[in-house]
Amino acid sequence: MFIEIIDVIISGLINGSVYALMAVGLTLIYGVSKAFNFAYGSFYSMGGYIAFLLFGISFFNNYLIVFCLAAPVLLIFGFFIEKLLVAPLRKRDDWEVKVMMITLGLALFLDNSYQVVFGARMKSLPSILEGSFEMGEFILSYQDVVIFIFSLGGILIFRWFLNNTRTGMSVRAVAQNPAGAQIVGIPKEFVFAATFAISTVMVGMGGILLAQKYFITPAGGWDILVKAWVITAFGGMGSIKGGLYAAFIVGMLEAFVGWYFGMTWTLIALFAVLLTTLAVRPQGLMGKWG
Amino acid sequence: MIKIHDLNAYYDDFHVLKNVSLEVGKGEVAVMLGPNGHGKSTVLKSICGLVEKVTGNITWSGEEIIGLGAEKLVNKGITYIAENRELFPEMTVMENLKLGAYSQSARPHEKENLEKVFSLFPRLADRRKQLASTMSGGEARMLAIARGLMSNADFLAIDEPSLGLQPNLRDEVARIIKEINTQGMTVLVVEQNIPQITELADKLYVLEEGKISFEGSREEALGDDHLKEIFLGM
Repeated sequence: MFIEIIDVIISGLINGSVYALMAVGLTLIYGVSKAFNFAYGSFYSMGGYIAFLLFGISFFNNYLIVFCLAAPVLLIFGFFIEKLLVAPLRKRDDWEVKVMMITLGLALFLDNSYQVVFGARMKSLPSILEGSFEMGEFILSYQDVVIFIFSLGGILIFRWFLNNTRTGMSVRAVAQNPAGAQIVGIPKEFVFAATFAISTVMVGMGGILLAQKYFITPAGGWDILVKAWVITAFGGMGSIKGGLYAAFIVGMLEAFVGWYFGMTWTLIALFAVLLTTLAVRPQGLMGKWG
Repeated sequence: MIKIHDLNAYYDDFHVLKNVSLEVGKGEVAVMLGPNGHGKSTVLKSICGLVEKVTGNITWSGEEIIGLGAEKLVNKGITYIAENRELFPEMTVMENLKLGAYSQSARPHEKENLEKVFSLFPRLADRRKQLASTMSGGEARMLAIARGLMSNADFLAIDEPSLGLQPNLRDEVARIIKEINTQGMTVLVVEQNIPQITELADKLYVLEEGKISFEGSREEALGDDHLKEIFLGM
C-alpha cells in the first residue's frame, strides 16, 4: 500500500513535469498574443515523428543528436507557421476566432499528412535509457527519471530565457503591456512569431520525451491539446506560474484517480475539477480578470 | 529638428488632426496647450509612429519619417513618454529601464544612460529591484520618464507629465525637463498644469479641435487675454 502510493506520487510528478513543459508554451502564446492555437497537439505529434524519422537514419541514432536537430526544425517551423497563417489574420476583425479556425484546419491537415506519410499504425521510439532502480518492491525506471529531468530542465531553460535574454524580456513586455512594448520600440510581430516558435519547440520536445514511453499516432496530439487547455484554463489564462501549478495538480490528480478508480475515470475527474474550479474562480488559479 | 507640415491623423473614420503644422528646433522646448480631447496626445503619438492612419509630412533632421513605425523611430532617437506611463507592471524598475534601451541604437549606451538616469532620479536607484506595479504615482511617473531617457533619444515627446502628480512633484518634473534640455535634448511637451514648464518654452502651440489655433512665444501668448486666462492660468 505504502509503496503503491509512492509509485502513484512519482507517476504524478513525472506526468506533471511533462504537462508543465507543454502547457506553459500554450499559456505563453495566449498571454502574449491572445491567440488560441488548436494545432498545438499536432505539433506534439510532429516532435515524435521528427524523432522517428531521425532514428531511421543510423547516423542520427542518438537522443542527443535527435534533440539538437529537432529543436531548430520545430523552432523554424513554428516561426513560419505564425508568419504565414496567424500573423495575416491579426489585422482583421474577430481575428481571434479566425486564428482558432485556421489552427484547427492546420491540425487536421497535419494529422492527416502524418497518416499519409507514416501510416495509421503506432510508431515507437527506443527507450532513452534502459533499466531501472529497484529497492525491494519499489521500482523506478530510468526512463521516467530522464523524462522528469528533461522536462524540468526544459522549464528552467525557458524561465532563464524569459528573465535573462533580451528576446525573453521583450516577450514578457508584450504580455504585460503591448502599448508600452510598442513605445520602447519592441517589434510586436517578431515577438508573436518568436513566442509561437518557442512554444512549438516546447511541445515538440514533450512529444519526443513521451513518445519513447507511449506511442506516436497521427491523432495522438488531441489528448495533449485537451490536457494543455485544461491546464491553461485551470491555472489561469496566460499565467505561467498558474500553469505550472495546474500541470502538477493535473498530473497528481490523474495518477491518483487512475490508481484508485481506474484510468477511464481520469478525464472525467479532470473536467469535474476544472468545472468546479471555474465555477468558483472563473479566472483560474492565478489568472487575472479581464 | 522636427518639422511637421499638414499633418492629418485619423482614428478609424474619425478625423482627429486637421492640417497641423509645427516645428521644434534642435535643443528647443516646445509646449503644446489646449483643451482635453482635442488631439494634443495624437500629435505626439503621430510623430512617434504610434498612430496608424496619418498623412502629411514629418521630417526629422531633414529626413521624411511619416509612416515609419515606433520601432524605427525609437531607433532614430524619437521617443514617446506616455501620459498613462505604460510601464511593465510585473517587472522591476531595473527591467523597465533595460527595456527602455531595447532599440539597436540605445544598446551600446545602456550603461552610461543608466548612470545618467540614476543621477537624475536617485530614488529609482534605491528601488531598482521594486516591481513597477507597487510604485506610487509619482515614482511611476519618474520611471516612465527615465525609461524614455534610456532610449538614448534626441527628441522626447512628453505627454502630460503632471497627470496624477502631487504639486511638489510637479516642480521636480519641470526641473528634470530643464536639465535634460540643457544637456541638448529637443522636447515637445503637452502640459498646462505646470507653469514652470511653459516658462521653459521656446515656443508655445495651442491646439483646438485638431487645429493649431495659436503659435508663438510665451510673451505673445501672455498678450492674448483669452489664452492667458484659459491655458496659462493667470
